[in-house]
Formats: sequence, structure tokens, C-alpha cells
Amino acid sequence: MKKRILTLILSATMITSLSACTKGGNPAPVTDPGTKPTEASNAGAGTEVTPVEPVTLKWAIWDKESTSYWQALADGYQASHPGATIEMVDLGSTDYMTVLATELSGSGSDFDVVTIKDVPGYATLVQKNAIAPLDDRIKADGVDLSKYAGVTDQVTVNGSLYELPFRNDFWVLFYNKDLFDAAGVAYPTNDMTFEQYDKLAREMTKTDFGEQVYGAHYHTWRSAVQLFGVLDGKHTILDGSYEFFKPYYEMVLNQEKDGVCRKYTDLKTEGLHYSAAFSGGDVAMLNMGSWFIATMISNLQSGEYDSSLCGNWGIVKYPHADGVPAGSTLGTITGISVTTATDTPDAAWDFVKWVSGEEGAAVMASTGNFPAIMTDEALGLITGLDGFPTDDASKEALNVSNLYLEVPYAENVSEINSALDSYHGSIMSGEMSIDEGIKAMNEAVSAIK
Amino acid sequence: MSNEKSQELDRMQDELNEMMREIMSGKIRGKEKTKKLRKVDRMQRIISKRRSGEMFSRAFKKDLVSYSFIAPNFIGFAVFTLVPIVFAFALAFMKWDGSNEITWSGIENFKRMGSDIFFQAALKNTIIYCIGTVPLSMIFSLGLAVVLNQKVKGRGIFRTLSFFPYVGSLVAVTAVWKMLFHPSKGPINALLYYVFKVPQDQLPQWFSGSLVLLSLILFSVWKYMGYYMVIYLAGLQNISPDLYEAASLDGAGTWDRFKYITWPQLRATTFFVVVMLTINCFKIYDIAIMLAGGGSGELTTSATVLVYYIYQKAFIDWDLGYSSAVAMVLFLIVLVITIIQFAGEHIREQ
Repeated sequence: MKKRILTLILSATMITSLSACTKGGNPAPVTDPGTKPTEASNAGAGTEVTPVEPVTLKWAIWDKESTSYWQALADGYQASHPGATIEMVDLGSTDYMTVLATELSGSGSDFDVVTIKDVPGYATLVQKNAIAPLDDRIKADGVDLSKYAGVTDQVTVNGSLYELPFRNDFWVLFYNKDLFDAAGVAYPTNDMTFEQYDKLAREMTKTDFGEQVYGAHYHTWRSAVQLFGVLDGKHTILDGSYEFFKPYYEMVLNQEKDGVCRKYTDLKTEGLHYSAAFSGGDVAMLNMGSWFIATMISNLQSGEYDSSLCGNWGIVKYPHADGVPAGSTLGTITGISVTTATDTPDAAWDFVKWVSGEEGAAVMASTGNFPAIMTDEALGLITGLDGFPTDDASKEALNVSNLYLEVPYAENVSEINSALDSYHGSIMSGEMSIDEGIKAMNEAVSAIK
Repeated sequence: MSNEKSQELDRMQDELNEMMREIMSGKIRGKEKTKKLRKVDRMQRIISKRRSGEMFSRAFKKDLVSYSFIAPNFIGFAVFTLVPIVFAFALAFMKWDGSNEITWSGIENFKRMGSDIFFQAALKNTIIYCIGTVPLSMIFSLGLAVVLNQKVKGRGIFRTLSFFPYVGSLVAVTAVWKMLFHPSKGPINALLYYVFKVPQDQLPQWFSGSLVLLSLILFSVWKYMGYYMVIYLAGLQNISPDLYEAASLDGAGTWDRFKYITWPQLRATTFFVVVMLTINCFKIYDIAIMLAGGGSGELTTSATVLVYYIYQKAFIDWDLGYSSAVAMVLFLIVLVITIIQFAGEHIREQ
């Protein structure tokens, strides 16, 4: 008897582990295909709809539960396209591009549409022939690339475009109004030079034990410090000589030394997230991407952030170098691509076109996110959201004049990116002086090229 | 059975017996003996097969049964370990990104290492880490074992306590270490600041710069010494108490007893401990990521290690050929060191 039970248990474990294998490790977030098509056809029943052959598109995304727009985009597309089912597969955000590249390696992939999180990952997928060029389809369907305000040029590979952006974030300066009020200092403005910004950060700093206020906060990302240097439009991170980072490293390291911002090594050891730093109520100014706006609004509403600490916040444009007009900032695009492995490239392209087009943009804006096609209407939707700062400067801050991608496309961008990341860490933690670090960056990147 | 056939079989049996006699007589030795033995085995199989008139000999059937016992494990090993290992060997001489066609590149990947500063940093860090960790772990675990082998009060508790770090989850334990060694809020630096009056800007940054390797070494010595202590304890229990008794009759002191009895008697244990330590040290990855990787799990040049670099090249940059070549270098280093250790042990034995 005992033996029989043991055999049963053993075979049960084997069967479950086997079936887990066949599912390929991503069994969780599959939308129920049984219900969606009927819903979609019901919704479309009233309008004039030609019968469409049913098609299911498998779409790679991340953080489905905590990100509002995936479901909204899928629902929006299904409602207007009867017969289409969007099946979302959540690969998680932490190492999304690594997991995706692994999924698309070899010939076993069955994704039709994939989201592209960053440019190094995009470069990898292009080189791996995992995503298809879209030029012919763009031309055939008359997609107007000028709507994307030039960012598509920065991800064009040898004259071909492999993704269309549907979300476009840019960096702004968040600030805590309560801290400025308490210190009796005027709020930051939409037109600040770096000297003014530095001075303001120092003015706001309080180093008294127990009631410290940090005038500024820089997240551990490379972008948060060195990319101040690309805002004059004369340099990019692909240059190969990085002396233009120097003034900004000096500014931040001097601030660190004087207690104006938290120490890089502390942040690195604690793994402190920028959102935790800003919502803690002791950071006066934080340079961060516009994605943080949606986080602030929803987390303040849900009560996750204490509104007495950070409830009174605002945003202004990024500070700028002397002689450069205000409004230049860093951008990050989120794109969407058709895989080369798809069996239904036409349907996949139609979905890509819809998500990156005006209809998708409207859905993005209604969830508080910045669509790649920025219209006044979309801007109005975001600034009109309940919880968005009500002052005019915050609304004005969303008008971007020049957008420079954090990482534009280059063949070896993935390697350049990791080399710069590595030496950013070395400079910020004091392992290397600024000059040594920059010299090492120059050498490492020239070796890659 | 036909007469002819049985005659042939008898003739073969005679030949076999003759050969057996030759082997037993001890005239032939070494290689020739093995060769003959193999021939005997072969002939025995043929004879038994012919006698029974079946398709497979009894010996072969017996072998099949034995193979079937190891098959479940071996098939898994072959599919998931052996084939990938062989493939990785081949990949080291190729260029592949996992999707496009594989191209042959000869020793290009190995030449590239010569000018790759990130690879060199990783190699240097890994070697420094091993040089620091192996002897320290060995000394501390041996010391602990010797002390806790004596009849001291609360021996059981102390033994358990020293094994505790090994049992604890790496993630939880590194989190505690990071708090203890936090550069501006940790109690270690607070102690240095308040008691030893180290100025604030000179407080050690435990997880960056040159100190990061020291932190890694200290951490792994602390975490793994309990495990090796248990191995040493087992070794110590095997030493006959008669030896110590004889030594104390001869008036040997504590140090003499350790030097002339404990240490030589523990030689086999020490060998095992050192080999395991070396192999484990070269594999370092998880500790480095957890202690020095920060929130994003990225290592700077001062903390990067070979296994991390292999991962980075393979799954971030998708340079599978180069990554395999680096893995081969790691493999060769471990192999050579282990061979040297075995050779040294062999010499000492004689």
C-alpha cells in the first residue's frame, strides 16, 4: 500500500514537471481565448463590420498587473477588430529584454508581436533577425513618421525601421512643493541653467541630523548623471570621447560631498529605489522620467505614498546648459515590432500600426501615459488627470522642444552601454577619479568599435 | 548442436584456458596483461552465445540490465549536460548570436581576450578572490573543528552556531551583511567612526573599489566555513586516540600533537577540502551579485567575476562564441589547478 502511494506521488510529480516543461515556462498570464472573441463580436455587432477570419496574436509584454495600458490597448483593439484575439504573455520587467531575446532565439518562438523596452535590446533583436523590417508596410499603408517628432530616425538601422514607438517618455524635474514652502525658497522654474539648478539644490539642503533635506537626488542609473551632457545636442553617447560628461560628474560629486544628495554607494548598497527616496519626503528635487508621473498619481491615490510627505508635488522642465534654450530633454521610447517568426504577419502589422497610431495614442493618454504621437488632445488628457499638479508650470513642463534618446541606435550599442554603465559606477563610487573614468570609457568604447 | 560446431567450441575453450593459465602464471604484466584479459572476456562472450544459441550472450544481457539501471540518470545527464558541454567546446571556436548562422572563427575568440579589459578585470578579480578565500576558509574551518572537537562546555551549541551561516538563505544573509557594512549607516562603520575615530570621509566603502573583494572574501569565509568544519570534524573523529595517548606519554605539547598527529592524519580531508574550495571559489557569481550588484544586479569592473562576464557576454550581448571561449578558460584554469593538486597529493603519498 505504502509503495503504491509512493509510486502515485512520484508519477504525479513527474507528470506535473513534464507538463510544466511543455508549457515553456510562461504559463501564467494567458488571456482566456474562449471569452474574448464573443465579446469583441458583440461589441462590433451593431456597427458595419465585415466578417473577419479569427486570428490570435501572441504579444510579449511586462508587468501586466501593475501597468494599466496593456489591457486597455488589447481591449481597444479587440473591440474595433472583431475576430482578433490578443494573447498577452508577461515576461516581467526586470530582465525583459534578456528573456525576450532568449525566447526569440532559435526557431521555437511563437510570438507574433513583441514590445521593445530599450534600444540596446532592440539592437540585439535586429541583429538576431528576430524582428522584421517595417519599411515596406510603412510605405504601403502611408504611415506618417513625422508624427513621431524625429525619434524614429534615432532607431533606424541601415535605413530600415524595425519598430514603431507607441510610448514616449522624457525626463523632467520633480520637486516637492512642501519642502520649498517650508524653506521659504521659490519653486524651480521651467527655464533654469545648471548653475541655477545647482544653487537651488544647495539652498534647499539641510544637513541637521534628524531633519535632513536633500536638495537633489540622482538615481544610480548612468542616465541620471552623465546624460545631462547630451542635452546641448552636440554630443551623443556613441561619440567615443566622453570629456563632455566631466562638468556634470563634477557637479553631482560635489553635491554628494556636501550632503546635497544621497551618496551613490549608499544607494547602491541599499538598492534604494528613486520612488522610495522621493516619496519619503526628504528629497526636494528629483530628475526622473515622465513615467514617474503616472506612478505618483496612482500611488498617492491608493495611499501607498504618504500624501503628507510628498502629496504636494510639481514638475518643471529639465535644467539646461548655458546658451541652450530650455526644453531639451532625454527621452526613452517603448516600441512595438512584428517578429520574423510570426505566421500571421499581416494581422501582426495591423495591430502594431493600431497601437503605435492615433487610436493607440488615445488609449495611452487616457491611462496617464505619454504616447509617442503627442497631440494637444493627448496632452490635455494627461494634464487633466485627477492628481496631476494643478499649477501652470507643471503643465508647461510637458512641452518638449528637443528630445534626445538616452541610447540611440548603433551596431554595438549593447556593449557600449555596458562599458559606460561599468565606468559610471567606478566614477560615482570613487574607485576612479572623473578623469580616469572618462579615459577608461574612451578606451573601452574605442576597443568595441 | 552439430558435431562440427561443438568441436569448434571446444577448440576455442581450450585456447581460452591456455590464455588463462598464461595470465595466472604471472609471466605477462602491465599493458599486455590487460590486453589479454580483454581478449579472454571477448572470447568468453562468444562461447557462451554460441553454446546457448541465442541472439545475445548472457554476459551482454547482464550488462543491459546494469545499463538500464543507470539509463534514467544518464539520459538526463547526456541531454541536458553532456551535449551542451560538448557544444560549448565547439562554440568557443565559432561566432554565433543564437539566431543567425554559426560561422567558424578559429582561435579569434581567444585572441580577443588579450585586448579585452573587462575580461582581464574579471579574471584578475576571480583569481584574487580565490587566493584569498581558499586558505582563509581552510584555516578557519580547521581551527574551528579542532577547538570544537575538544570537550568544551556547550560544544553542541557552538557547532550548531558555526554551521548556521551555511544553512541560512544567501539572499537573507547578504541583506543583513549589507546593513552591517552599510557605508554611512552600518554599525561597523559607526564603530570605526565613534570608537576608533576614523574621519567620516575616510570610512571604508565596503562594497566598492578595492574593498569589494575583501568583503566578498570575508563573506564567503564566514558563510562556508561551517560546512568545511563539519568535514574536518569527521576527519578528526577518525584519528585514533591511541596516537594522542602515545604522544602525551612522550611528553608532546599541544602544538607538537597538532603538527605530528592531527595535520598528517587529516591530509586526505585537507586535500578534499582544498579541491572543493578551489572549484567552488572559481564558480563565484551569486555572492558577488548579491553583495556588490546593487538593485540592478550589475557589477562594476572592480567587482566583476568570470561567471558574471560569461553570463553578460552570452545573454546581454549575445556573443555566445566568445562567452563559451571565456567559459573554456575558466574550465581550463580549474582543471589545471585540480590536476596540480592531485599530482601533489600523489607525490606526497609516495
